[in-house]
Amino acid sequence: MTPLLAVDDLHLWYDADGGKVVRAVDGVSFTLEQRGEALGIVGESGSGKSSLALALMRMLPKNVARFDGAVRLAGRELTPLSDDQFRREIRWQRIAMVFQGAMSVLNPVLRIGEQIAEPLLLERRYDKARARARVRDLLERVGLPAGFASRYPHELSGGQRQRIGIATALALDPDVLILDEPTSALDVSVQAQIMNLLKDLKEDPGISMLFITHDIGLASDLCDRIAVTYAGEQMEVGPAERVLVAPRHPYSQLLLASLPRLHSDVPPRTMPGDPPDLTAIPAGCRFHPRCPYAWEDCLNHPPGIPLPDGGHARCWLNDPVVAGDRYQIQLRPTEAARD
Amino acid sequence: MTETLLARSITVSSSQPLLALDDVSMAFRTRRGLFRSGEVTAVAGVSLAIARGETVALVGESGSGKTTVGRVSLRLLQPTSGRVVFDKQDITDVPEERLNWLRKRTAIVFQDPFSSLNPYMTVADLIAEPLVIDGLKDAGVRRAQVRAALAAVDLTPTDRFVNRHPSSMSGGQRQRVGIARALIRNPDYMVADEPVSMVDASSRVEILNLLHGLQRERGVTFLYITHDIASARHFAGRIAVMHLGSIVETGSARQVIDHPVHPYTRALIAAVPEPDPANRFLRRSTEQWQDTPGVAIHADCPHGGSLTLPAVLLEVSGDPGHAVACHLEPPRGR
Ligand SMILES: Nc1ncnc2c1ncn2[C@@H]1O[C@H](COP(=O)(O)OP(=O)(O)OP(=O)(O)O)[C@@H](O)[C@H]1O
Ligand SMILES: Nc1ncnc2c1ncn2[C@@H]1O[C@H](COP(=O)(O)OP(=O)(O)O)[C@@H](O)[C@H]1O
Ligand code: SF4
Ligand SMILES: [Mg+2]
Ligand SMILES: [Mg+2]
Repeated sequence: MTPLLAVDDLHLWYDADGGKVVRAVDGVSFTLEQRGEALGIVGESGSGKSSLALALMRMLPKNVARFDGAVRLAGRELTPLSDDQFRREIRWQRIAMVFQGAMSVLNPVLRIGEQIAEPLLLERRYDKARARARVRDLLERVGLPAGFASRYPHELSGGQRQRIGIATALALDPDVLILDEPTSALDVSVQAQIMNLLKDLKEDPGISMLFITHDIGLASDLCDRIAVTYAGEQMEVGPAERVLVAPRHPYSQLLLASLPRLHSDVPPRTMPGDPPDLTAIPAGCRFHPRCPYAWEDCLNHPPGIPLPDGGHARCWLNDPVVAGDRYQIQLRPTEAARD
Repeated sequence: MTETLLARSITVSSSQPLLALDDVSMAFRTRRGLFRSGEVTAVAGVSLAIARGETVALVGESGSGKTTVGRVSLRLLQPTSGRVVFDKQDITDVPEERLNWLRKRTAIVFQDPFSSLNPYMTVADLIAEPLVIDGLKDAGVRRAQVRAALAAVDLTPTDRFVNRHPSSMSGGQRQRVGIARALIRNPDYMVADEPVSMVDASSRVEILNLLHGLQRERGVTFLYITHDIASARHFAGRIAVMHLGSIVETGSARQVIDHPVHPYTRALIAAVPEPDPANRFLRRSTEQWQDTPGVAIHADCPHGGSLTLPAVLLEVSGDPGHAVACHLEPPRGR
């Protein structure tokens, strides 16, 4: 079966001061197989998550140093499309996005209804009357009364504004919805409400999602599969239920162990070392300066080593030939994860 | 099975708390539009005592009154009613100009390391600012103290940080600058208001361990304000759960989380997306708890209680120190 979205070896690099290059997306590959599937993109701040989203939306800043790779949507190759074609046919129509900090993205002087209608009126997709009706439907779908159309952003709470961001992204019935940290500025209760809404949309109408977050717990609550991102690369991709209890990459393992657990007294562990500098990515395995298991072979760049569950892990410990005696020894489920 | 009605001030193990709030309420005047004005009761009848060297976590959702309690405890706000006692001195009505001693012994770490730090000041100037306010003129002494504070928050080698601007630092590093600034006067009591909510999940532990270390090594007493109840388990001895301006449950962090009694506490705990395969795709919500005071309380209330009645804190039988708010009759333990 043709996957709904297939991304292969995607790169997005930026020019930075002093002739340096930021390798924000550095050879990322993944698929969304079918409608209603959600993939969690999990990583620390600065690991390139937002850049991946912008690359898929083709919303690129001026200082792009490299942008290539293959993106196929329902079998259709998107890379050859001109910017104009992409804007008319793909962005917002087929792939839509809720931005990180969507709360501040809303235009303070525009009524909510006008903001949601914006993508509808663009390219004369809808006339005014149909757009108005559509706005009412969208508000209802995100759980807000129709009267909200005439309100201004400052009259809304953080959670309500985030619902508006989602309604706007849903306006043209996209196949793929990208959510960049949609709840990170919200408290637990409002976060739970937004997550409920996303769970509903995933069921019906079956929207596929790329859910970007630094919180692996949150990702696992919504997503079928999880892709753990580090320094522009995906370190591990696999079914959420397996990644949570038996991570096959040391970075995923440490990420899980760093979370304070609600019902366990095992203290959370600190992540060793410093976050990577994307202008000076270490040679070989880019996690090696922080990895407690690193050995000489880790100075070679590991490929994504396939795992039986269809996922992969970019760590030599998963290659029996290279790892030898080390093969999988270190990768028992963490204590914290087992609790 | 008898439940004890707790005294209004919840007693703590130490007989002499460093900080005690006794039946504190705080109402704010609000102005909406030109002619309408009203009052919000942000905090209603909160009693809380914190022993020297103890960390108490105040958890609850946005708007429940946590920050207001924190600010009252520092006398940054004067409560509408109730008493605030710091180190045996009643500070409820002391005018600001006679509170210098309190300012030197207390500090606050803010939620948002981005907006709370002036981006145009260097790290050294930001941290030294409280000393300048205190009138410490000797620049050499100030520099030495700044370096000591930077070292205490692990921003080392300190040379690499003194002249930097917060805008060029990561969220975790900025929060460390915020903590160093709070530490510079060597306070006994600190309010940490959501100190890690803007920091990446993977860097939170580092910051919380740092605060925990200050408690252990310097005996700092903490009020840790958070909506992340899981972190409260690991970084606070005791938890007080706030809802609509009141404490609805309090007790040792472990007991409150593993054996919550109040239905609101249960809903709050169930709202946490724990990374556990058995805990996925669930509908979570505390929405049924968004009631305003005066409206009938949640359907789960075994007594059909009403918030129009003042709640009393009752000790859960067989669990000393664990208390739950009830509007009608004593709760049945766990
Ligand atoms: N200066 C003020 N004037 C008017 N209302 C206020 C003021 N400060 C707080 N409030 C109101 O008091 C209530 C409690 O606010 P508080 O900031 O203490 O909540 P909180 O629990 O800290 O919330 P959060 O998790 O969002 O920080 C809210 O309804 C808030 O809008
Ligand atoms: N427009 C840009 N120009 C230069 N560097 C950028 C730009 N946008 C992001 N970066 C850098 O790229 C890296 C990845 O950023 P980002 O994709 O925002 O990561 P994340 O969303 O995971 O926090 C960071 O080092 C960031 O500073
Ligand atoms: S390849 Fe080596 S350094 Fe990289 S994660 Fe695996 S063990 Fe660690
Ligand atoms: Mg981002
Ligand atoms: Mg607050």
